[in-house]
Order: sequence, then C-alpha cells, then structure tokens
Amino acid sequence: MAHVAEFDAKAAWDGGQSPFRVSYGKMMMWFFLVSDALTFGGLLVSYGFIRHKYAEVWPKAENVFTHFPFIEQHLPLAYVGLMTFILIMSSVTMVLAVEAGHRMDRRGVTVWMFWTIVGGALFVGSQAWEWYHFITGTHVGGPEGHGGAWRNVWDPATSKYVKEVYHGATMAVNEYGVPQFANYFFFITGFHGFHVFSGVIINLTIFLNVLKGTYEKRGHYEMIEKVGLYWHFVDLVWVFVFTFFYLL
Amino acid sequence: MSEFHDDYPHYETMSNHDEAHGKAARKVLWKVFWVMLFITIFELAIGSMAPGHGWTGALWLKVLFIGLTVVKAAAIVLWFMHLGHEVKFFKYIILLPYITFILYAIFIILVEGVYSGYPRNVTRVDKIFIDQQKELKNHHGEEAQQTEATHGEEHH
Repeated sequence: MAHVAEFDAKAAWDGGQSPFRVSYGKMMMWFFLVSDALTFGGLLVSYGFIRHKYAEVWPKAENVFTHFPFIEQHLPLAYVGLMTFILIMSSVTMVLAVEAGHRMDRRGVTVWMFWTIVGGALFVGSQAWEWYHFITGTHVGGPEGHGGAWRNVWDPATSKYVKEVYHGATMAVNEYGVPQFANYFFFITGFHGFHVFSGVIINLTIFLNVLKGTYEKRGHYEMIEKVGLYWHFVDLVWVFVFTFFYLL
Repeated sequence: MSEFHDDYPHYETMSNHDEAHGKAARKVLWKVFWVMLFITIFELAIGSMAPGHGWTGALWLKVLFIGLTVVKAAAIVLWFMHLGHEVKFFKYIILLPYITFILYAIFIILVEGVYSGYPRNVTRVDKIFIDQQKELKNHHGEEAQQTEATHGEEHH
C-alpha cells in the first residue's frame, strides 16, 4: 500500500513499468477470473429464467436437501450450511497463507496451505455425498411408505394407465419436482465442484513447491497469491450458488 | 523475466511487509471472516424458519438475501482477493466490464422472464408440461404444506 502512494499515475503509461502496478501473472489471473465469472453469471441468469418460467412447479430446496451424514433426522439445509462454512473457512486459511507469504514465512505458508487443501477436499467430498443422496432419492416415507414419486403412465399394450414409481433425480426425471431443477443443480454445482476439484489439485502442486523451497529460492511467494485469487473466486461463486439454489 | 528487463520494477515483492503490518492485516482478515460467518448463519436461520419461503416467499426477504450475498461477495473481492489494495485503474478494469455485462444480463432476464410467464406467451407444450408436473404425486411438497398448515393452526 505504501508503494501505491509513491506511484506517479501520470508517468504510468509512458512505458517501462506496469500502469496497474501488478505483475503479468497476477493481472492475467484476474482477467481469467473475470471471464470465468461471466460464465457462471450466464449459467445463474439462465437458471433464474427457467425458475421464473416454472415457478409454480419448482421444488423448494429445503424439501430436497434434508439429510445430514450419520444423523437420521430431518435437518433441512443443515449440511449445505456446514459445506458453506467449510469453504469460507478454507478461504480464510488461504488468505492467511498469502499473508504469511508476504512475510516470507515459509512455515506459516506450509501450515495454512495444508488446511486450505484439507478444507477443499472436505468440500468436494461433501458435494459428492449430496449428489449421491439427490440421485438416490428417498426410499422410505410418503403416503405409501416407499418414498419417491409416482405418476400414471399410459400403457399401449394393455390400454390402461399404470403406476410408475421413480426415486431420486436424473437428467430426465426428478422425484422432488421439475427435471429442470435437477438439470441446473447438476450443471451448476457440477461446474463449481469441478472448479473446487481443480483448485485442490493446483493448491496441492503449489504446496509441494513450498515444501521443496521453490519460492524461498525465487525470493517471493507471489504464486501463493495467484492460486489464492483462484481459490477465493471459487468461494465467491459458491456464495451466489448457495443463495440462488438453497436460500431463495 | 529479470534477464530481459533488469530495470523493470519487481511487482512480485511489492506487497511484502514486516511482522507489525502482518499483524494488522491478519486482524482485518479475521474481522471480515466473523462478519461473513454471522451473515451466513443469519441467512440459514431465516431461510429454514421463515414461513412461505422459497421462490414464493416475501419479496423483501428475497431482496435481503440477495443484498447480503452481494455484501459477502464484496468482502471476498475487496479484502480476501486484495482488490481494494490495487491501483484505482486496475480496480475499474476488473469491475466495470463485469458489472456492465451482468447488469444487462439481469435486466434482460427479468424482462424476458416476466413475458414468458404471461399466460398468452406460454407455449402449449409448456402448459402441458406444467399441468403434468402439478399432477405428479410426490410427498415432499405435501409434508411441507402440512407442517405449514399445522403452524398456522397453532397461531390462530
């Protein structure tokens, strides 16, 4: 911050320096994140359109996500709350790793990067668990005790309506409501989950470099800051996914 | 890079600081974390308690949730991603294009979404689809309606 004060904005565009006062790598990471944010923005906007269109038959998230691992109780939105907490927490450990890097504190970077990776892995695992339950659906409860949803389907062979029961959600059917809910859930949380997964892999790579002493030799820990930007972006997207999918 | 531009400024090390600065920075970061945690807990508590919530919930509740989300997003971008510490021009080059595009996208989706909801604009296929979905027998909505109904009886 002190360096910004010394910065002569008038001479900034005359060459020989970056008018943005950032390194090339960091600037390009920001530009990448803007483009990635536009992709997520487009997905969420299209989700909003379809949700408005089928508002009357759209399922409520608190009727869909009611499970919590190891506890056989009706706990709406509790697990996604925990997931959100884990991701915010790993965002904090990431920013503490960046701060330790600014002090050239190799031990601090190692410790905080480790906890960031643990948090990311926990989040991906939790998402896998949530997907598994959403796809499997309910097999108990309901008026007839077998869970799921059912409808009458015309059977041409017998010229009668026959009852068709189905459980859980796929791209074609969804026991909780319109299939579009499942389509957008799989696509958006899947796209976000893939970002978290790649973030964990990137963090792991950088973590190994920290252990090897690559950045100690280089004289700065800016790489932590760059992967940190990506990691915070993943958290940023989740804040919106959480609101639009689970809360509203 | 340094072998090509020996006199080029070293932006990589410019944000490095000493222990005293680090302590102050950490204090701010933890403060941001507590604010975000409080907002999330508040949202969850309201979200799982408020009657008639979901897309059919009160407009002010939806606006509140979206407002709180924007506050959280701003906290992440300005403090966790350090955009608040960057040069003014860099801030604008990141934020302005994005805000412009996303405001347009939200505007167009609200306009088109409202038109697509008008009965005369709903296609015959959509109407059939929505009617089918209404007839579909699943107990998830029923349960919620029952609990809401019993809640209502308690109050009256």
